[in-house]
Amino acid sequence: MALPFALPNFRGAASFSATEARVQLHEGIAVFTSMITQFVVLIFVWVLARSILPVAILGAIIFSMFTLGQRVLNEAAYVRVDHKLNELYLASPLTPESYFLGIAVGVLLAYLGPILILVAIAVLWVAFTPLLAVELVATSLAVWLFSSSMGYVLSTLFRDMRAIWSYASILYNLFGVLPPVFYPVGLFPTALRPIALVMPPSAAAGLLQDALRPGVLSSSDVVLAAVALAVESLVMFGVALLWARRTAQER
Amino acid sequence: MPPEALNAVDVRKTYRLRRGPPVEALSGVSMTVRAGERVALLGRNGAGKTTFLRIAATLLRPTSGSVEVFGHEVSREPDAVRPMIAVVPQEGKPFFHLTPREQVYTYLRARGLDRATAHARTSEAIGEMELDEVADRLSITLSGGQRQRTMVATVIATGAPLLFLDEPTIGMDPFARRGVWESLRALTRRGSTILLTTHYLDEAEALSDRLYIVERGRVLIAGTAETLKQQVGGTLRVSISDGATMGETFASFGSAVLDGTTLHVIVDPKRLLEILNVAVKAQRTATVGPVTLEEAFLRTVGRSIDED
Repeated sequence: MALPFALPNFRGAASFSATEARVQLHEGIAVFTSMITQFVVLIFVWVLARSILPVAILGAIIFSMFTLGQRVLNEAAYVRVDHKLNELYLASPLTPESYFLGIAVGVLLAYLGPILILVAIAVLWVAFTPLLAVELVATSLAVWLFSSSMGYVLSTLFRDMRAIWSYASILYNLFGVLPPVFYPVGLFPTALRPIALVMPPSAAAGLLQDALRPGVLSSSDVVLAAVALAVESLVMFGVALLWARRTAQER
Repeated sequence: MPPEALNAVDVRKTYRLRRGPPVEALSGVSMTVRAGERVALLGRNGAGKTTFLRIAATLLRPTSGSVEVFGHEVSREPDAVRPMIAVVPQEGKPFFHLTPREQVYTYLRARGLDRATAHARTSEAIGEMELDEVADRLSITLSGGQRQRTMVATVIATGAPLLFLDEPTIGMDPFARRGVWESLRALTRRGSTILLTTHYLDEAEALSDRLYIVERGRVLIAGTAETLKQQVGGTLRVSISDGATMGETFASFGSAVLDGTTLHVIVDPKRLLEILNVAVKAQRTATVGPVTLEEAFLRTVGRSIDED
């Protein structure tokens, strides 16, 4: 039976993501400087409030996955605005969906190394349970999917790199630093907690904090955070796929 | 495959701006490109060449009209068209952190070619574009012309049946340009079809089987370079310096166009001595040369191709 809609075709995505990873890795220093904010925060926490270091380390992993979206935004915009390479790739058998996914996966592959260093630190400092490990993988991927999808969609809305840098920085810091990602969700004002739990990075961090110390969140808060993270990630991914196809042929 | 690689009928494109009135970039362009042809869109900056090329390459939707590539309508069936085309975008640049060899190879892999074929075609295209010496240097270290040749190599390596090249030789030195022309001729001998835009008159004349002169979103005239030149009305051009005030005197010899202070008159060879005598008597310097595509353009458009 035929489906009422066309399934996305990811032909060429693997090859293009390898290209993107290669492009990113040529600037190796950028890969490691991507961790500066996270390590500075961890050093502050080590000095000032060592008891919450496990929370901060898990938050740093989530924050790192979230800021990959900012890199997708910058890369997709740079390739389009400065190099016009989007035209080379989109007018080819590589599908628009593959083009988007290729950039997102390529950036993930390139920046995975430093994130794995954070994971190694987490293994040393955090009392991992099987549930926490599974939740870390699942929430990290969900945050990456949401963030990279949002980054790609936003990248198509700008014509000037300077504007992109400013807005991207505001957006990603607003979502990634202000809410309880690096610090315990219990320190966030109770009245505003539902807002934090529907924002993907803090929803992920909240779920991890609850897995680390059960009872940090009420069961309804856990459901809220889990559903919000899953739905927002999938919806944003779907939007990005549709948007990639729509913008491949400008109107 | 149908004999026509591209068939465009009454293509219009209007850009609706957030501020200001809409801009009509194309006002009913129709054209045909037969398989195996090299066709040039010749026009000034802003004439609508790139807009048309982007529509034909599935990158932009027309406001109305249709473009078919090998029988597939580009707006309705972009996925059917894309495997058959490859595009050098205007002002496109390779990834700065890839070498030319990596750029070509990874692009071919993304298009779905297997490793062995991609390697072979990469070496061939790098050689054809004379990039061997810099093939393993990062593109960020290359000159503008070398980067442009990398873009052309990337596209010709695909072996796509229809290539769109938007100002393909911009920024290249004269030797490199001729090298690219020769490669493009060889490609069409092997069966590819090429639609290119250019504002270089010599390129349009040397490279294209047929050309379309585009101005303000319309095709003003189409044909071979020779037929366009014949329409000018003579085979010789007499250029008279300081001829601005003598238009009426020389108009009787043939069509006259003023370019700055120089008056260009297209004459029949039989009247050459006569016009030179008039110029000498008027104490003006006269230079004689063959009619060029520049005259055809000037006469068709009413302005020089370099004039904004």
